Amino acid sequence: MSNLHLDSVGKLYGRKTIFDSVTTHVPIGLTLLTGPSGAGKSTLLRLLATAERPSSGKLSWKGAPLPAARSRLRRALGYAPQAVDLPDDLTAREFALHMAALKGLDLAAADAQFGAITDAINLHADINHRISTFSGGMRRRLIFAQALLGEPELIILDEPTAELDRHTAALLEALIVERAATASVVMTTHASEQLTAHAAASWRVEGGQVTPL
Amino acid sequence: MTTSLRRYSRSWGLWLLLLVAPIGARFMIARDDGSGMQVAIGGHLPVMTSATLGVCLGIVVSTLLLPVAFLYLRSNVTRRNPWQVDEVTVAPRAAIMLGRFAADALVLLAALATLTAAGWILGWQIVTGPYQPHWIALPLWLVAAPALIGLAALRQLLDARPLGRRGFGEVIFFALWMTSLVIPITMDGRASSFAVNMVDYPGFIRPLVAGSPGTGTDFSIGGGEIKPGRVPLDSKRGIAAPGYVNSRLAWVAIAVALAALAGVIHGQHTAPRRRKPGLVARLLADRPPPSVIANAPRAAPSRSPLFTLMLAEFRLVGAGRPFLVLAIIAALLGLLPDFRHIGSPAALLLLIFGLTAHAGRGEARGLRHLTATTATSPVLRRATLVIAGTAWATLMAIPATLTTWSIEPLALAAAAGSAAGVVAVTLAMISGSAFAPRMVLLIAWYAYLST
Repeated sequence: MSNLHLDSVGKLYGRKTIFDSVTTHVPIGLTLLTGPSGAGKSTLLRLLATAERPSSGKLSWKGAPLPAARSRLRRALGYAPQAVDLPDDLTAREFALHMAALKGLDLAAADAQFGAITDAINLHADINHRISTFSGGMRRRLIFAQALLGEPELIILDEPTAELDRHTAALLEALIVERAATASVVMTTHASEQLTAHAAASWRVEGGQVTPL
Repeated sequence: MTTSLRRYSRSWGLWLLLLVAPIGARFMIARDDGSGMQVAIGGHLPVMTSATLGVCLGIVVSTLLLPVAFLYLRSNVTRRNPWQVDEVTVAPRAAIMLGRFAADALVLLAALATLTAAGWILGWQIVTGPYQPHWIALPLWLVAAPALIGLAALRQLLDARPLGRRGFGEVIFFALWMTSLVIPITMDGRASSFAVNMVDYPGFIRPLVAGSPGTGTDFSIGGGEIKPGRVPLDSKRGIAAPGYVNSRLAWVAIAVALAALAGVIHGQHTAPRRRKPGLVARLLADRPPPSVIANAPRAAPSRSPLFTLMLAEFRLVGAGRPFLVLAIIAALLGLLPDFRHIGSPAALLLLIFGLTAHAGRGEARGLRHLTATTATSPVLRRATLVIAGTAWATLMAIPATLTTWSIEPLALAAAAGSAAGVVAVTLAMISGSAFAPRMVLLIAWYAYLST
């Protein structure tokens, strides 16, 4: 079963071809993206997250083509890009509630959920601290936590466990596996036995092609 | 310097800056009907000789355009530098700061060069008497170039210390700019000398005073009633006054020294440290995290997403307890008489900082690519910020309304709050930061306070 389909999707940056005619679908469950640096993994994730538009081809969400169905897809989306310019002068909780409001979520419920997510990834003690005091790993976890707010059916995660120690990475991976039971989770990551064991699909991005492994 | 210049060359904002001066020149010089920027002596416009045109253009740059130039310097492509890397290199800080200062100064002087070219074209049409391009350029550069070079040095000086890198740097610039405009008035009537002319940082007093027909110093810059007929202004004699040229060169030397000083006093970038808070800090500090609700359900969609968004924006415009405390003080000032000049400006000043801070956060380019993928469209997000600003302004005007039993304070506050919101959102959207809207709104706030 799948909600998100790519039909002959291509992406160009200027004259440089990043992808050429990718046709595939995103299954429910965990999809792992691998490939060399610069191959276009993050670009593919940005396309899936509607942060960028394809140069050719089309994406469709639950049978309806984008851009017409973009709003519906965004209501079902949780996205954690690789790098975000986090507002340093806000606390982590203020930022999360800002994101929750933009996602159209109930704020009280989102606050409780954010508390539970951050507790599961060892960030809860710091959620009322300013982001300016956060380390790289804490920022990474905050970006991850906001992506899980609500009940996203499509979760896009770009290197969510980079900069994390093995123990903390395992905490995130456990949450990812739990969410992948009911949602489509697409993520780039380095080799992880825990994730590989639970993956519904693996794609290799290289040479302008996306190849199922 | 080369790196900074390369970054500038890829900035579309630079091309805008280069265009601002010549396009502005068309509107800066007064016409006989009194339109345009006026430099008047005894209520009369001066005879527009080549040298007087140069002085008039220089005055406009060294007074009114300095904030625009500062705004550009602090918000352009070079506003962020890779300090994580270059602070651990062996390169001397003074050399780095001098290089960046030189790049900034060159860019500002390039803008001045385009203004000079525009002045030549303008002069060809409006100059009375012989058309002397070099006499347009010389006074213009004598007046404006040191002021612009000094501005480039000030940018490095503010960037050198942690306090100056933040919003406080903008406050310092604003105070210095206002002071530089006011202080030269103290040299009023004193004989020209190097020491006296050094007080005149914008450099426009001496050319006007020494070149004016009488001994009086009755000149005005800006708007106002203009009497018919023009009076002669010997601008050549003005800039040749004893000590004037030397004072302008001295300001250039001071600017270079300040840029080097910026390297000497440079403070490393560090993340704010968590210190044990004092009593006031504890009162103003954020609360401890709420207790975790085990197995909290996944958040459902809000029944009223638009209201939820407005509420969230309202909270974030007033984020932090210090804002709340200041908002209460500003609202209580509304109990004093003359709301227009006390309560209203106080509330507006606070709101400017809250609005621009949140607009800057939301429009940061590195965050926008995330927020753009949410269910809320950017237009709606911006609109709710304006509404939140209006709501804050209106709330702070309630005490004044209750005191006067008049709707006027509410209407004034709502108009000011919404206008500030629109400016904050628009400029933050264009610049991607809080700086540009804050600078523009602070200048507008000063005009609001003074009128």
